[in-house]
Formats: sequence, structure tokens, C-alpha cells
Amino acid sequence: MASPSDIKKSIVIRDPQGLWVVVEFQHVNPGKGAAFVRTRMKNIQTGKVLEVTYKTSESIDIVDVEHRRMQYLYHDAMGYNFMDNANYEQVSMSDEDVGEQGKYLRESMEANISTFEGRPIALELPRKMTFKVIQTTEAVAGNTASGNITKEATVEGGIKIQVPIFIKEGEGVIVNTETGEYVERA
Amino acid sequence: MNLELIKIRTDVVKAIRRFFDERGFTEMLTPRLVGLPGQEPYLDPFWTTVALPLLERGSRRELESGEFPAALITSPEYAMKKLLAAGFDKIYDLGPCFRNREPWDGTHDPEFLLLEWYRKNAGLEELMTDAEEMIASVIARSTTTRQSPEIASFLAMTDKPFRRMTVADAMKQYAGIDLEPLLGNREALAKVAVEHHQTVRSEDSWDDLFFKLFLSEVEPKLGWNETKTEWQPTFLYRYPASMAALARKDPADPRYALRVELHIGDLELANGFAELADPTEQRKRFEEEKALRSKLGKKTWAIDENFLAALPAMGSAAGIAFGVDRLAMLLVGAVSINEILPFSARERFQN
Repeated sequence: MASPSDIKKSIVIRDPQGLWVVVEFQHVNPGKGAAFVRTRMKNIQTGKVLEVTYKTSESIDIVDVEHRRMQYLYHDAMGYNFMDNANYEQVSMSDEDVGEQGKYLRESMEANISTFEGRPIALELPRKMTFKVIQTTEAVAGNTASGNITKEATVEGGIKIQVPIFIKEGEGVIVNTETGEYVERA
Repeated sequence: MNLELIKIRTDVVKAIRRFFDERGFTEMLTPRLVGLPGQEPYLDPFWTTVALPLLERGSRRELESGEFPAALITSPEYAMKKLLAAGFDKIYDLGPCFRNREPWDGTHDPEFLLLEWYRKNAGLEELMTDAEEMIASVIARSTTTRQSPEIASFLAMTDKPFRRMTVADAMKQYAGIDLEPLLGNREALAKVAVEHHQTVRSEDSWDDLFFKLFLSEVEPKLGWNETKTEWQPTFLYRYPASMAALARKDPADPRYALRVELHIGDLELANGFAELADPTEQRKRFEEEKALRSKLGKKTWAIDENFLAALPAMGSAAGIAFGVDRLAMLLVGAVSINEILPFSARERFQN
């Protein structure tokens, strides 16, 4: 048995109604109240989506799933298409299942797909990825004493992030795909 | 840090002070370091020791050794109520407050700016009007270059009163649950929780089960419009009495207490009460809080007797706590509190 504090995106929880993949979660302490973890989860078989809120002191049943390393090919009406380079098998995941993560996908990149009974249920991107800065304001010879001053930049894929003021258009930056935050210069 | 955003936060503080000063509120600057902080079961104060100086060996004066446990305040509430009792009518306090063991999830910092204001002979209505007008006034005085549909519609709504909903109405509208028959009835509430696919353990209290339902189905929608495209500032009021330790019970129905919260978007901005002034009832609630802290394995300390003694002179007052950092976040559409702080918690503590 595991704790609700172990909940992360893409893990699978088993309960009497079946298996659920965690889509989103948040720790909440309502109005100075006890600690809860609010979880949005999707049933692997039926696709039904629910919000379940656990007290952090509860026990939950987290199930192991298979992780496969796949290569992203392209996006079409079916969604995002991946290939397993070991056996050339192709799978696709719907736009809905991939969600916000879709904006980080780049042709031929590798990612982990968790599967259950052969069906893809969640996408795990590399935690850090490199992107080129497409648009930002002038790089300023910064006040390096603080070293921490930021401005907005748009990178490949139309993603907007906060970057240090010395970053120029055309430069590569490393982004944390979980938080959408700048990590460092590429 | 983003220079523009930090400045906006400072401007918000100035605009708030100006709002209350113009309306005849007196600013209080209550102590940050106290001997007896509040004993809310789920808040953790930072503790230290206040010590008197050691005297030289051989000094003729009696050696005064004084070491006293002291804590940083989690809210200025006790001092403010004592000041109301002492004779002030309309007061506010805006300063840092400190809470340990809060999650670093983008909406909390162990040190944060808390605004509290109090009115004598007032109730929830006055607090709600104050909050609406204060926010409108801050919006009118601030300039931001950040854009988003949520911010735009928020900045435009300064002349409309905020939505008001009772907890019972909200449970009905968003979760399809009739709260009335479930009040004080844990078994019935447990049954509803199971129907709504929540887990129920024998140790879950009525409040725990209520929150599982409320947090799953109601809270995420409260501060938004139907289609979740625009913020809809909403006052949620009239809470089940078990959730409002420092509030007066509703004279019309004592199963409910006169507490109000303000939700905008995904943020809880404020928490207010028609304040309890009965020292006997208050003492009882303090004892219950202490007992729960003990049960949770947490440290407890003495009840503030000076506070209890001052209560009757406070009379029928109303007070509210408001998150200033969070208001700044809303104005600029910040996703994380770190965007409007000069130095994030990670930067300060995780090096």
C-alpha cells in the first residue's frame, strides 16, 4: 500500500471500480484544515474521469504499469503517433490523453509511454528538454549582482516561459517539462 | 525575480493601505513575535526563545534569568481583538505572517503578507462589501502589462458586486448534494461520499468527509464562471458550525456559523467571521482545538487568558483575513507566488 503523498502524474491507482491513471493532482489544506490530495483520475477501461480527494494519512493501492520507450512520429486526426523502435509497433494516444504535454513533442524525440495490457495510458516526457528561443525582447547587459532578473520569451512550439534577461533570440534554453520553467542555457 | 511584478506587489500594498486609511480605519502594527500564538490544529507556528541578558558574575543585582518560549504569529487575530476590546472601532493590520509546513505549491510561502481588518458592531455583509470595494480600488490603482482573458475580465468587473453563495447552495449546484439532512449525521454523509466515489475510513470525521466532497466537486469551480473561461469572484458563506471555531453561530440556524471565504479563479483570497465574543464558548472551542492538536501528536501550549478576558469588551465584531500576495498574483495572472516575490522559498532555504 502507498500514501497519497506518493501520487504523481501518470501513476495508476486500483480501487474497487478498477484501474485509474492520475491525470492531475494537487495538495490542498482547506481553510487551515487537514491535508488532502485532490486527484483527477481517468479509468483505463471506461475512460470515465473523476476527482477523488484523499486525506494524506490514508493508504492507496498504486499499481505497477509497463513503461515502453517510444519515438514520437507525427500528429494527425487520431492524435499523437509513436513507434517502438525495438519491434516497429506503432501506437497512438488521443489529444485528450496527451493534453498539455503535446506542445513539447518534437518529431523523432523519445519518450516513455506507460501501458497497461498493451494499451498506452500515459505519456512521460523527458523532464528537461532543449528549445530554441523564437521571440524575446533585447538581451540587456544585466545587473549581474542579482543574476535573477527575468523576462518573457517564446520558444519553439509557441510555448511562453520566463527566462533570464541575458537570453537572446535564437539561443537554446533547457526547460523543465513538468513545471514549464527555464532551467539553464543549452 | 521579475522587476515589474515585484513592483506591482508593492503598489498593491500601498493601494490597500490607502483604501483603509481613506475610510477611517486605523492601521495597527501588531507584534510578529508573541508568547501564545493561535492553536489551530492544522497550523504550525515557528518557535524560538526570548531571553533576557545574562548579568556579569559578581553583579549586585539579582541574577535575572528569563527565557521564554516565543513564536512568530500565524495571524494577528488575537492582538487585533484585544485592540478592539481596548476601544478601537475600525482597524487593519498588514504585515508578514508565518506558517510552517505549508506546501511549496505555488500558492504558499512560509512567510506571506496577511491583511486583516475588523469592524465593531458589524457582520459578514459589511466585510463582503469592504472586500469588493477594496479589490476594485486596488485594480483601479494598478497597472500591469500582463494579458490574459481571465485578467482582462477581472479588471473589467470592478462595478459589479461579487457572487454570494451559501455552502449549502454550492454543494447543491456543483455536487448535486442536499446538505441540510446531512448536517451532524456522519453515517448519512458517508453514504453520500461513497456514492460520489470518495473513500471513507472509520477515522474520517464529518468534516473530513465533507471536505472530500467539497474539494473534489465544488472548490475547483467556485471562483469561475460556468464555462471556466473567466474568473467569477465568489463569496462562500454560512458554513457548517464545526468548521468555524472562532465564529458566532447563525442566530437563525445554529447548525451553521457565520463564516465567509472569497474565491477568485483557483485561489482562496480571504477568510472572515462574525466573531465569537462569548468567553465560555470560546474557551470550550479552544479546549477542543488543543485536544485535537494533542491527538495529532502536535505540541500544545496554554490558552491566552488575556484574550478570553478581553472578549466581552470586543462585543459584536466582524473580522477578515486576506492574502495580499495572492491578490497581486491575480492582477498579473501569475501561476506561482514566486513570480511576485523577490526571493522564492527555494532560493531562500534550499541552497
